[in-house]
Amino acid sequence: MTSPLDANDTAAVLDTDQAAPRPTMPVGPGRWKWIIAGIISVALVWSISGLSIGIDRLLGAPGDAWGIARLMWPPDFATELERGVLGKVLESVYIAWIGTIIAATFSLPLSFLAASNVAPRWLRRVVRNLFNVIRSVPELIVAVILIAVTGLGPWAGALAIGLHSIGTLGKLSSEAIESIDNGPLEAVSSSGGRWVSKMRWGVLPQVLPTITSYWLFRFEINVRASAVLGLIGAGGVGSELVSQLNFRNFPQVAAVLIVTVAVVLTIDNASSAVRRRIISGGGGLPGDQSRMAILWADLTGRKT
Amino acid sequence: MSSPTEPITQQRPVKPTRRIRTLAIVLALVGFTYFSANQVGVKLSTFWEVWTNPLWEKFWPVPWDWVLNRTNVLDPLVETFQIAIVSSVIGCGLALPASFLMSRLTTPNRPTHVVSRAFMGVVRAIPDLFWAKLLVTAVGIGAFAGAWALSIFSFAVMVKLFSETIDGADPRPLEAAVAAGGRHMPAVRSGVLPEVFPAYVAYALYTFELNIRASIVLGLVGAGGVGRVIDAQRQFFRFDRILGILILVFVVVFIIDQISVALRKRLV
Repeated sequence: MTSPLDANDTAAVLDTDQAAPRPTMPVGPGRWKWIIAGIISVALVWSISGLSIGIDRLLGAPGDAWGIARLMWPPDFATELERGVLGKVLESVYIAWIGTIIAATFSLPLSFLAASNVAPRWLRRVVRNLFNVIRSVPELIVAVILIAVTGLGPWAGALAIGLHSIGTLGKLSSEAIESIDNGPLEAVSSSGGRWVSKMRWGVLPQVLPTITSYWLFRFEINVRASAVLGLIGAGGVGSELVSQLNFRNFPQVAAVLIVTVAVVLTIDNASSAVRRRIISGGGGLPGDQSRMAILWADLTGRKT
Repeated sequence: MSSPTEPITQQRPVKPTRRIRTLAIVLALVGFTYFSANQVGVKLSTFWEVWTNPLWEKFWPVPWDWVLNRTNVLDPLVETFQIAIVSSVIGCGLALPASFLMSRLTTPNRPTHVVSRAFMGVVRAIPDLFWAKLLVTAVGIGAFAGAWALSIFSFAVMVKLFSETIDGADPRPLEAAVAAGGRHMPAVRSGVLPEVFPAYVAYALYTFELNIRASIVLGLVGAGGVGRVIDAQRQFFRFDRILGILILVFVVVFIIDQISVALRKRLV
């Protein structure tokens, strides 16, 4: 590698006698680098040839995409608002919320059974594998099956999201339980508490902030997932997108996309603010403040 | 150990007064949940009725002859992995320079940082299958649209993860390189890249796993891969075939995940 940095550096080393020997450039083991690069390029060539992507198609695609993007301008908000796009987006949010509630309800007790420090070995293995299996089935596949069983509609979507999220939330929560401080657990058992009391007083207070923030995080992901579920008929904003795309109403499509992005970003920001508040805490220490100041700090989380 | 003269009440921490806030939050959450449940049309009876639905009989027995047939399932499955490979390489390859533009530590100037961050936020806020659906409309049904959509989405995810890693990197090697007279890009290359490259590899493998999973469902919106077969069989209510496809897919995905996890452990 030749660059001004190297050139200057070498000159400096040559100039001064007391300079330390130049450290070798920190790169990975050379042979492995080439082997991995080789594997990746072979896989890439195999994939591209398998997908039969012709060079004309590759070069034409940006033009096509740009053509569609131009048709989308200007976004037609008026028609979309009339068709109730806000309600559709909110329906996605409701689906995500119900899904998250379902997942939280089922994953919290199960995650105690999957944590290595509080559950017996055989049980842990069973529950953990259950989480892994659930996690590996995408929401959309769950929804495809559930729609057939329960019928089209938002409830099928909420169930699909809830079921899928049990897997991820259970895994994350059980990992949070595994990383607790053992002190409170020992304190409860030394004062005669049984398993349930140990979990309630020794584990839950330690992990609840972390787990709540996982729930919120999952809610953010689920909002996107529930928007997608509409594409296959499970309610929410996706169905609106599909119907407008099928009729090639591109200005309306643009409006749907913009509203979706706005709602998703708002929820992301609000939720991450709440998560930060849950994890790092807020509010002042009572003592030298007036009651109103305490209440204010308590309600807003702002330190006075 | 406290001396006996000290009053015990002094040692006990004051319990924070949180009742009003807790009550307000709980009420708000319960209210919102109740409202959403109404909107969604929650039927709790589904939880026990679903088990006795006669439709479950359609899931069994799995027609393995049909599932393991080359043209029925195996070729679309291979296509799925090809989509994932192409889009992972393109997405992760482009993400490497883009992440350096986007990180606070290594961005050449502030406007680049702000603009690229806002742009990527918008790209990420559109779900991956929305991208797929849009691109199917733009460039036609098939694997090509799927590869495009996943490239865009994995690029966005990768840039977010990796630029945050760069944000957290040790700034001192970079300062040293700049102090020694390095220009911006060479300084970043020798001052920051060595520290964050293992994380890059780990994220790339993670993105690849995500793409494998995403490429399975791409076909449901017409963007190629094994999802196309699932969508077709779903129209015919051939759930036995779907179950067979799913079992096959998840065995293969499981194996790939294990390889990827093993690689990640070794490389990082």
